[in-house]
Amino acid sequence: MYTYNIFNDMIKLRTVFDDFFEQKPGYESSREFPPVQINEGNDQITIKALVPGISSENIEIQLVDENIVLSGSKKEDYENQQYIRKERVFGEFKKSIKLPYRVKHDEINADLANGVLTISLTKSEDAKPKKIEIN
Amino acid sequence: MMTDTNIKNNAEVKKAFQIPLADIYETEDIYSVKLEMPGISKDNLNIVVDDDELKITAESSTEENTGNLKYAEFRAKNFSRTFRIGNEVDRNRIDAKLENGILALTLHKSEAVKPKKITINQVN
Repeated sequence: MYTYNIFNDMIKLRTVFDDFFEQKPGYESSREFPPVQINEGNDQITIKALVPGISSENIEIQLVDENIVLSGSKKEDYENQQYIRKERVFGEFKKSIKLPYRVKHDEINADLANGVLTISLTKSEDAKPKKIEIN
Repeated sequence: MMTDTNIKNNAEVKKAFQIPLADIYETEDIYSVKLEMPGISKDNLNIVVDDDELKITAESSTEENTGNLKYAEFRAKNFSRTFRIGNEVDRNRIDAKLENGILALTLHKSEAVKPKKITINQVN
């Protein structure tokens, strides 16, 4: 049997307000471009960065000490037209990501697909725990 | 019995959709819309024209491996955006191209609404 309960409606309204003031998960615009995600497990690190509209020759990835430095430029692709809306942002970027441990320099893979850059890194041997024998 | 609907159970948790950023321009013949949708492939992109609305939705098919996630500045890549389109847009001639995370839509205007020069017939 359905019984009308006024409190349900009141609580629903509260949800509406909560949703409004809560920051929606999405781009955190306050962060530096590009937004990244770091996955870690099994001595592997995977970094994903959202770089829509940037071709691979315009992205530079460097390993500096224990940091991955992403830099490059997002070139304007405006046509010579009168725009109604211009929301996309263009320009140079540089972002440094600190890695949790040293990585193998020769086992770094970077893929660019659908505007997502994926960098795979492997833990360096000398960053792994080493058992020391007692004489 | 009073139930607190504010405590959302798993089934109720709405999927978070982001609004993709757009650049739009208009010419005599077309509307051009460019949307930023990183991480979206052709297969999980939906473009629907319903009456006077053009709805673009995309859900990333791959489940995020959240177990190993150490740090995130973005979440699941689901996008949704709806544009209101006028009668001048030919519903059957909307071209879409997805490249490098950018969706480029070209909305052609129907012939009937294009500016037309009217010739005056000289009547003697």
